[in-house]
Amino acid sequence: MGNVDREGGGAMKPELRRILFSLAVLLWAACILYFYGSGRIVKYLAPDFRPIALAGGLGLAVMGLFNLLTAFRKADCGHDHAHGEEHDHEGGDMNPLAALLLMTLPVACSMAWTKDGFSQSTLARKGLYEDVEAGNSPFLASALPPLTLEEIEKGHRKTSDGYLEFSLMELFFATGDRELQNLLGGLKVEAEGRIVEEKVNNDSGTRMRLYRMFMTCCVADSRAIPIILEFGKKPPMLPENGWVKVAGTMTFPEEEGTLRAVLVVDRATAAEVPQEEKFLRR
Amino acid sequence: MNGDARQDFALAFLSILFEGAPFILLGTLISGFIDIYLPKGAMDRFLPKNKTLSVMVAGLLGAVFPVCECAVVPVIRRLVGKGLPMSCALTYMLAAPIVNPITALSTWKAFQGQAPWMMVGGRLLLGYLVAVGVGLVVARIPLRKVLRKSLADKIEGEMEEEHIHSEDSGCCGHDHSHEHGHSHTEKDDSRLIAAMRSAQKDFVDVGVYFTIGVAITALFNTGIAPGAVWLDSLAGNVLAAPAALMALAFILSLCSTSDAFIAATLAKFTWSAKLAFLVLGPMLDVKLIFLYQTVMRRKFILALSASLFVVIWLVAVAWEMWIAKGVAP
Repeated sequence: MGNVDREGGGAMKPELRRILFSLAVLLWAACILYFYGSGRIVKYLAPDFRPIALAGGLGLAVMGLFNLLTAFRKADCGHDHAHGEEHDHEGGDMNPLAALLLMTLPVACSMAWTKDGFSQSTLARKGLYEDVEAGNSPFLASALPPLTLEEIEKGHRKTSDGYLEFSLMELFFATGDRELQNLLGGLKVEAEGRIVEEKVNNDSGTRMRLYRMFMTCCVADSRAIPIILEFGKKPPMLPENGWVKVAGTMTFPEEEGTLRAVLVVDRATAAEVPQEEKFLRR
Repeated sequence: MNGDARQDFALAFLSILFEGAPFILLGTLISGFIDIYLPKGAMDRFLPKNKTLSVMVAGLLGAVFPVCECAVVPVIRRLVGKGLPMSCALTYMLAAPIVNPITALSTWKAFQGQAPWMMVGGRLLLGYLVAVGVGLVVARIPLRKVLRKSLADKIEGEMEEEHIHSEDSGCCGHDHSHEHGHSHTEKDDSRLIAAMRSAQKDFVDVGVYFTIGVAITALFNTGIAPGAVWLDSLAGNVLAAPAALMALAFILSLCSTSDAFIAATLAKFTWSAKLAFLVLGPMLDVKLIFLYQTVMRRKFILALSASLFVVIWLVAVAWEMWIAKGVAP
């Protein structure tokens, strides 16, 4: 083994280089394990990726610790090196200090900056205010349970005051399906989601928007699944972007040439944050 | 960056990092152990002697050794170092993330109700053909024009060494030093340490480029939607739609095991556009550009990128005109 990093590490001793690399690896491990252990990972990854992340975090911790604890031990790679030339399995293309900084700084900054959710502007970019019809897709629609006139009552629980509990996904995709509109139009339903200000076609200020995110693998690929809430008067004071349960009558009016899913609200109350905040790929 | 932008960047950055890091670890552990334990030239045993045939077989190795695009780069670095011809390594690198059972299954699942067999078949076939085509071309290019100088130096140095030692090379497939002999059991611990060090070194090498790639992806990801309206306007255009979704695949840098779930949601786009998205993405994206720099020269990466873009676009357009024409979107 070489005594110094001949390529990118200047005169840095291999022991020090190993320690720096181990620290970089351990920081990544600590970050992943912290997010997993604290439960915050649910805001970042879909369920099937969470155990993979845990395994990755544990694997990184083992690799980092192993290399840290054996940093001063001599190792033999078991095969020969060229005449008079040391054949280095650890020499890198980059200065180890620069590598450490590049690997850890963005992670550390992100850990400090993250609030486990997107800002309103990015939510808008991810479809929060797009026409509902524009977001229709056969794939997403196929993720919904089968819905027929007979099955509506059977497949949805009824609240004590007579509203059928629907997921936003079903209401959202009804705008792309005439049959569903006929089934759901005029129906008394309750849906759960986050409530935000309505910025489209809301001159009278009587509307809000209800949404949940749909995530396939990680939150970076998520998109908003929204419907419009029509209160008919000034909406009640509810925490911006807070979780609410909203009950009312489902309608599908055509506005500006586009069919929209509009829930005419009878009641809206703050709700507990659900265990799984996002709609997930099935 | 203002507070909102920092918050958005951090969320997207960490989520992609959490998603990709385990796969990089898997790839670098494999590469580290290959480095120490795999005898030089061992890969040759799996491949036919004929150059063309060996490239064609390399394109199918993903079916046996399925790896995603993040994990495959460190693996091929080591395989090239172990004497796997660059043409075969590159073919494996481009094909393995697509031509593997996990990707096939996820594509089939994602496209339920949207001609899943056509999409799976088209993706695997096109991915394989493009990768083999690139491999056959690379087989005719000098190593130094493809590989990074440090890697090319190492391989050529080891080839010279092998030549010098050819008359007295070791009986277990690799050379032994002049100072030590064959006491494998005594060396087990020592070699494990060497393998873990090699794996960690690979992880850091790839991790640095991955971090940069993820950071750029996160910046695009959280600001990409202003182009969504423009993208939608191209959705039905046979020529422009594939190019638009290839650009999107490049920017989004999705994993090949999950990108079909995104492609399937792009309902307005032509079949060829979705196919181009699914074939180009695992071969070329923002983070891969950075990962490729751990193996290949920048000029070669540029030429490879341009070639992949043009070839996949042409094939996708032809596919739309001749095969997907009669299938309702």
